[in-house]
Amino acid sequence: MLDVSQLRKVYGPDPNAPPAVADLSFTVAEQEFVCILGSSGCGKSTMLRCLSGLDSPTAGEVRLRDRRVTKPPEEMAFVFQDYSRSLLPWMKVRRNVSFPLRYKGVGNRAADDATEEALDAVGLAGKGDLYPWQLSGGMQQRVAIARALAYKPRVLLMDEPFASVDAQTRTGLEDLLLDVWQRYEITVLFVTHDIDEAIYLADRVLVLRAPAQIRHSTTVPLARPRDQLTTKQQPEFGQLRAELFNALDAQPAPA
Amino acid sequence: MTRRIGYLLLPAILPIAVLLGYGIWSIPAQNFYFPPLPEIIGFFRDIWLFDRIGSDLVPSLARMLSAYAISIGLGVPIGLALGFSRLLRTACEPVVEFLRALPAPALIPFALLIFGAGNGSKLFVIVLGAIWPILLNSLDGARGVDRTQLDMARSYQVPRLARLRHIVLPAASPRIFAGMRTSLAIALILMVVSEMVASSHGLGYFVLQAQRSFAIPEMWTGIILLGILGFLLNAIFLRIENRVLFWHRAVTRKRPTKARSEATDA
Repeated sequence: MLDVSQLRKVYGPDPNAPPAVADLSFTVAEQEFVCILGSSGCGKSTMLRCLSGLDSPTAGEVRLRDRRVTKPPEEMAFVFQDYSRSLLPWMKVRRNVSFPLRYKGVGNRAADDATEEALDAVGLAGKGDLYPWQLSGGMQQRVAIARALAYKPRVLLMDEPFASVDAQTRTGLEDLLLDVWQRYEITVLFVTHDIDEAIYLADRVLVLRAPAQIRHSTTVPLARPRDQLTTKQQPEFGQLRAELFNALDAQPAPA
Repeated sequence: MTRRIGYLLLPAILPIAVLLGYGIWSIPAQNFYFPPLPEIIGFFRDIWLFDRIGSDLVPSLARMLSAYAISIGLGVPIGLALGFSRLLRTACEPVVEFLRALPAPALIPFALLIFGAGNGSKLFVIVLGAIWPILLNSLDGARGVDRTQLDMARSYQVPRLARLRHIVLPAASPRIFAGMRTSLAIALILMVVSEMVASSHGLGYFVLQAQRSFAIPEMWTGIILLGILGFLLNAIFLRIENRVLFWHRAVTRKRPTKARSEATDA
């Protein structure tokens, strides 16, 4: 459903400058959970900005359900890494979630229902009247996820969404995400630099190297539903971790 | 408990001491320029409670507040638009820089020519001086909006005007309020100055007229009333600011500079 072909992004006016994304191609299937793994500075965020239509690529194209992405599409929602900056501190939690819906052309009633349903799905029912800064970091990122879910996207793009919360909260958010991914029947493209997180969540893991290019691709054969304890103890998990670690650690191709 | 009461009373000590000191000194001193305190208080009661409230205080306040409202009504949208659009900003910058550097009182003669001696010329002069802190702070506030917030709204296809209204305006509001507070003081000053030229009533007119007729205690009552006015206006302003910017206080108290230092991937 999401096709990326020959994507290239160069910042600045000089087309011969070193690209942030170079000839990147991959596809994501309907309702697939794909993790993109890459060390920092490999162009992950640039890639996501092009995928989401926030930036336009220098060359190549992104197609979502066979329509070329030239501006942020309605069927896509983006969850940013830094929840403290993507949530609006002057709006209550409920307003933060419903804010994008008011411009989507759904009625007020439907918007309210979708908001409450999404807050409930992320375990924040009853917190709608608080302000984001009255919540913990993990809960704030759940508000951001609720906002994305209420928008009813077909694809959810997530840019290291759990990188700024502590480990304990993080595992909880991972399970929550897997739960809503199945409940809302969406496709997820999840960027992370954490190998374990990628394996635990994904159907398929793509390893990126700088400038953003697929270095390695592997499917994750682990059964679902997954469990933080038993899934991570399976021998396949260890093998995948070694495989991905090597793929990440290999010397980058000469520029 | 006693400590809290102490802290509440603390700010009152110095003003009371100054008043007492002046009172004790001024009664035996019999200085023409610094009349005895009881005399000033007596005149103050006679003049401002409530004889000249309607003829001088109300017109002055009305001028100042309407000019202040015009400054906000023009300064905020223009400032936000200039901050939001680089094209507009580049085009308008020289003109803005020139106009803001003009001392507003220098335009009083011109204003009198164009608008006559009525309210128009006074409003013009006050707005011309008070608009700049509001406009420039709105501009900086709009430029300083967190890019993540705007990207978020853009990714959800929130239209441009709604982004301006629901993201840029609130995000810039702490800066806008800082500008509005500066402008409030400027508006008061320019109200007095504008009323000292070609006027027939108003606080500035009253103070100057009293001085010209050597009515020194009366002159002092006008000055004291202006001081009280400035103090009260500022206090009211701070109350409003506290209400509107409650979220900003909460956020800045909770999170000193943490969010800014977090590195984001290229």
